[in-house]
Amino acid sequence: MSDEGDLGAVAAKGRTRGIVARHAGILVALVAAWEISCRMGWLDPLFFPYPSAILLGFWRLYITQGNIWPHLGLTMLEVLVGFLAGSALGIALAVCVGMSDRLRRYLKPYVVVLEATPRIAIGPVIIAAFGFGWTSKTAIVMLVCFFAPFVNTLNGIVGVEPEKQSMFRSMGASKVQTFTKLLWPSALPEISAGLRLAMASALGGALVAEFIASNAGLGVLITQYTGTLNMASAFVCVLTLSALGYFIFRGMEELDRIVVFWSDGDRTDAMSRRRKAAWRAKMGTTS
Amino acid sequence: MGHLAIRLVPVIKHLLVFAGLIALWELAAATGVIDVILLPEPHKIAASIWELYVENRTIYRHFIITFYEAFAGFLVGGVLGLALAVGSSLNDSFRRYVSPYAILLNVTPGLALTPIVIAWFGFGYSSKIALGAIVCFFPVFVNTLLALTRTDEDTLEMFRSMGASRAQVFWKLRVPAALPMIFAGFKIAITTALVGAVVAEFSQATAGIGVLMQRLSFSLNMSAAIAALLSMSLLGLILFSLIEILDDRVVFWRRTERMDAVGRRRRARWSVTDAATPGEPQGRKNLT
Repeated sequence: MSDEGDLGAVAAKGRTRGIVARHAGILVALVAAWEISCRMGWLDPLFFPYPSAILLGFWRLYITQGNIWPHLGLTMLEVLVGFLAGSALGIALAVCVGMSDRLRRYLKPYVVVLEATPRIAIGPVIIAAFGFGWTSKTAIVMLVCFFAPFVNTLNGIVGVEPEKQSMFRSMGASKVQTFTKLLWPSALPEISAGLRLAMASALGGALVAEFIASNAGLGVLITQYTGTLNMASAFVCVLTLSALGYFIFRGMEELDRIVVFWSDGDRTDAMSRRRKAAWRAKMGTTS
Repeated sequence: MGHLAIRLVPVIKHLLVFAGLIALWELAAATGVIDVILLPEPHKIAASIWELYVENRTIYRHFIITFYEAFAGFLVGGVLGLALAVGSSLNDSFRRYVSPYAILLNVTPGLALTPIVIAWFGFGYSSKIALGAIVCFFPVFVNTLLALTRTDEDTLEMFRSMGASRAQVFWKLRVPAALPMIFAGFKIAITTALVGAVVAEFSQATAGIGVLMQRLSFSLNMSAAIAALLSMSLLGLILFSLIEILDDRVVFWRRTERMDAVGRRRRARWSVTDAATPGEPQGRKNLT
């Protein structure tokens, strides 16, 4: 019995290892093809740098020169502050609006127009208003991060079934109780999705703001490197952004699993076990 | 008449609220609560709109250029996304080897590639189209792939039990079931393509609404910059409604009126073919 299980696990492990090996093989082959075509002159290394040069660039930017760190830190600061402020504002405003039918009706046309505007397009106007420093970039990130949580929270609150609301009312729930026990939990999955969308666009927003006018940040670094046709270093910055984007993506997914724990069976079980234990502790160990 | 009045009341209320907001804004600007250099009064914005659209007519050229860039970018990115997604949905190993790179492209903020794309494609339209295509590829890809692979198992079972071929399953079941979600992807993609085009214009360009807006706001002509921004909203709305109209045509079964119209048309065609060859029902051959 246990032998069989072990064998199955080993086989599964071997399979996944085989798949990983094949993927790695294809990646290596692609990179090698790129390197060779650069060396043979089929690709212009001025525009498509050698993969080996990109690797060297990583070493140079991160370790020997270390000049990427301050830019990376600044961009991350802009993204984080802008995201937190923008999404908090979006959710809070949506909650206020969602509680009042009339306010919602009158705000809707403005939301539609603002949704159709490419948010980043406001960039130059905001930079003219807030100056070239990091505040204007944070303001742009804030603006970019405002809408998805706002719209999703509003949709989530408005989308609650009227039957449930009338049940809450018939059982004499107060307005606060209806909100904390019904509206907010039912809206959470959508809010979480909105936060994910916002976070995904936050990085892009910060970069574009830096492209428009700035003196520090990854966007500036990319512009400088491309402007001097130091493409390998520019690729290092872009790949850094990919890694950053990946971690942000995974982090938001993890957050979603924790916040909306009832969408995942295992996590629901764990949470109800924990709550049961807490309940028992509170009531004394009578049962 | 009474009917019309009832329908007009909410419109009038909306207009009143709008007028109230504008009046409040004017008042705040007049009393100095709002800095008029940064946020000009509504009447100045209206004057700038008049100037841009009627007096100087400078905006049309930029408007059309940005429209062209965004639409071409959407076409390129959309076709690539569709093709790769259809390929991935038909062949498992294709999907396995394509998806890591698609994910890599997704987690990279596409707009970060702006300077590189401009170095590759130059200062002209092609770099804007390329950036639009890069940023709008993923929404189309992921929506199409998800929609094509998430077919209802029971319906699939029924198609199989009636002996449908692979092509029939694809064209008669998977594609129609996937179309609403594919169009949802298109809707996201077309606004992203516009963002891509505008951002590329911010970076390096000689014409387009992005350039116009940047020029205006950096010369602190804020009322005209806001007018340009509003034109960008208009452009976004136009592009979005183009896809929406197409969606309404293609996914005709979503709205009852269109469903009925198409049904009537098909029935008419059916009876014509029936009349041509009486006795033998046409179009049923492949079932026997």
